[in-house]
Amino acid sequence: MNLSKIINPTLTGFIRKEFAQVLRDPKMKIILFLIPVVQMMLFGVAISTEVKNIRIAAIYQPSDTAARHIHERALASGWFIPGKGQPGSEPLDWIRSRNADVVFVAPQEGLTAALQRGGAKVQLLIDATNVIQAQQVEGYLQGIASEVMAEETPVPRLPIQFDTRVLYNPAMITAVFMIPGVMSMIITVLTIILTSMSLAREKELGTFEMLISAPVTTGEVLLGKTLPYVVLAMIDVPLIMSVAVLAFQVPMKGAVLVLLLAAFVFVCTTVSMGILISTVSRTQQQAMMGSFLFLLPAVLLSGIMFPVENMPAGLKVFAYINPLKYFVSLLRNIMLKGGDFQVVALDLLVLTVMGALAVFFSVRRFRHRVS
Amino acid sequence: MTSPFRIRRVASIARKEVFHILRDPFTLAMALLLPAILVAIFGLAIEFNMRDVSVAVYDADRSPESRGLLRAFSSSGYFRLKGFAAASETLRELDGDRAKAALIIPPRFGHELGAGREGLTQVLVDGADNSTVGVILGYLRGVQAVAASELLGKPPQPAAIQFRTRFLFNPELNSRWFVVPGLIAVVVAILSILLTAMTVAREWETGSMELLLSTPVHPIEIILGKLAPYIVLDLAAVVFVYLIARAGFEIPFRGSHFVFLIGTLLFISTYLAQGLLISVVTRKQQLAMQFAIVSGLLPTLLLSGFIFPITSMPVFFQYFTSILPAKWFMMISRDVFLKGAGFSELAVPFLALIFLNLFLVSVATRRFKKDVEP
Repeated sequence: MNLSKIINPTLTGFIRKEFAQVLRDPKMKIILFLIPVVQMMLFGVAISTEVKNIRIAAIYQPSDTAARHIHERALASGWFIPGKGQPGSEPLDWIRSRNADVVFVAPQEGLTAALQRGGAKVQLLIDATNVIQAQQVEGYLQGIASEVMAEETPVPRLPIQFDTRVLYNPAMITAVFMIPGVMSMIITVLTIILTSMSLAREKELGTFEMLISAPVTTGEVLLGKTLPYVVLAMIDVPLIMSVAVLAFQVPMKGAVLVLLLAAFVFVCTTVSMGILISTVSRTQQQAMMGSFLFLLPAVLLSGIMFPVENMPAGLKVFAYINPLKYFVSLLRNIMLKGGDFQVVALDLLVLTVMGALAVFFSVRRFRHRVS
Repeated sequence: MTSPFRIRRVASIARKEVFHILRDPFTLAMALLLPAILVAIFGLAIEFNMRDVSVAVYDADRSPESRGLLRAFSSSGYFRLKGFAAASETLRELDGDRAKAALIIPPRFGHELGAGREGLTQVLVDGADNSTVGVILGYLRGVQAVAASELLGKPPQPAAIQFRTRFLFNPELNSRWFVVPGLIAVVVAILSILLTAMTVAREWETGSMELLLSTPVHPIEIILGKLAPYIVLDLAAVVFVYLIARAGFEIPFRGSHFVFLIGTLLFISTYLAQGLLISVVTRKQQLAMQFAIVSGLLPTLLLSGFIFPITSMPVFFQYFTSILPAKWFMMISRDVFLKGAGFSELAVPFLALIFLNLFLVSVATRRFKKDVEP
């Protein structure tokens, strides 16, 4: 491999220096290769919006069989665990003291007796400090109650029936959906912060002047500064992708090459964003804060955690100019659905335009700052 | 370095740090702008209720009954329908992320219903996002009952058991009441862990820490002096979020401000200690930053129960997350805001937070002292 004939030897030396500088520190190797894998494992396993382990307490007479059936069915469903309710104190206090998330109160005369008279009203007290949980708890219990009722007194089936099938993720495993999002988040955080701080560091330590006085063009300085981070990120992509597929059984229905191409375009975009941020900051601290100003909205308005369709129009605008949104959409579509041509082509096109703009502006800003 | 601890020297280090912060208006502006952005995004963007689920429809029947079914869908307010000329086209909409569900009405749907038999319709739901599937399935059940009663002209039968649900502490299930009190923990995580990790790492990186240490100032005084301005900055950010929560989003504050203040101070000092520990271990801003994000920010966002409930995590994580100060502060903040909880109800979170605080502060100061002593 004789690169020096094609490229300026100073440039190759420069790139080698940058690689050496990044990899010299063993802690940096940990950050680059171990931490992303650990993060994938942690967040992939832990993140789930499905509500489980809800502590339920119930108040009913021992002879009240209908109420007991509902309570037992709830505990057997896997969603609920027994909550603690001290007899003698108010159900409200059980919830306030976090001993129960929901209290099921059967009517005074007993649920069985009330049902025999035609209809019964059951009181549910639900801790709604967690909004997501509260809604699901009510839904679960309604479902369980109607199941129990249907068994005791069979009701006629509704004349309209839906034959419902859940596609792409029939087992409804959260990890399958979240993992592509976590992957893109890890790549974004890593690349933006490393690049923006690496240039700011040279400025802070005063070595930046040395760099630009070397016999290389500005473009080459920029290339030398960015290429190592693009390469390192592109080593990380297959690494965390294999964690996704091997450890979490996330399907890989589409073409891996298309996914790698998308990742490459995306990494070029984020690295350029990092350069852009570093051109407006003098110190690493400023570069860090600048990165965050980009990162937090980018991660939150990407659809990783909250669906873009649910956002108000004003915020949707930001979602649609967010490169991360397109990358997440690409990852999910390629991995889970096999990569619909229209989606891949459109998202990749938008991402490429954004990447080109980011590269263009970062080069221009950088030239401007240097001269 | 045998001279006794002097608060005056702490104050002068602190003053130097304040000048340093003020001289850099960019960082200061960011420190105040970031919480504002976070509150805006979380306050406005987060809506857990789904509206306008896009449904691709293929109606092969085109009978009054099938149109009645479609009407039941669109008048529910949950669905936005779009018609297609073939079943395969609706599938393509699902593949292309343009629809969340597909509804395929078979040719003899109206005929079957008219003959008194069951009208069977196929529904395909995009399960890639499993958090929305449950919601969509729930909406479907509602539409099913409404359509059945409308098409057959019978009023829907009331369920035998009626639930009278009281949603305690947040009766209207307002997402903001849930998110914004937790947001305080995220803001503190960003400001204290990230800023302190960076600012102390910078002193090491530029070599000015050696300079500081060679002065007669005690290492502990240096640390206290360096951290004091950030406590103020953190508190300012917390007050800022608090004011927006109360005035902007009208979130009730039912507990005692004293309990909340104690919890906040404990939490801030725990995270400052973590930031300090990171800076001592890494001594380089680039590294400090990555460690701060990985050990501080991301767990606070993802593992502390802020959005994703801890009770739903695998058992191992339910214990593992106990080492995160944010988990405990999240409980304190939410319960003080919404439940009006006091020290007795929050004994466990407070004890855990105190323990983590003492642990991190002692490890950080010991590491720091060991590093500076020759």
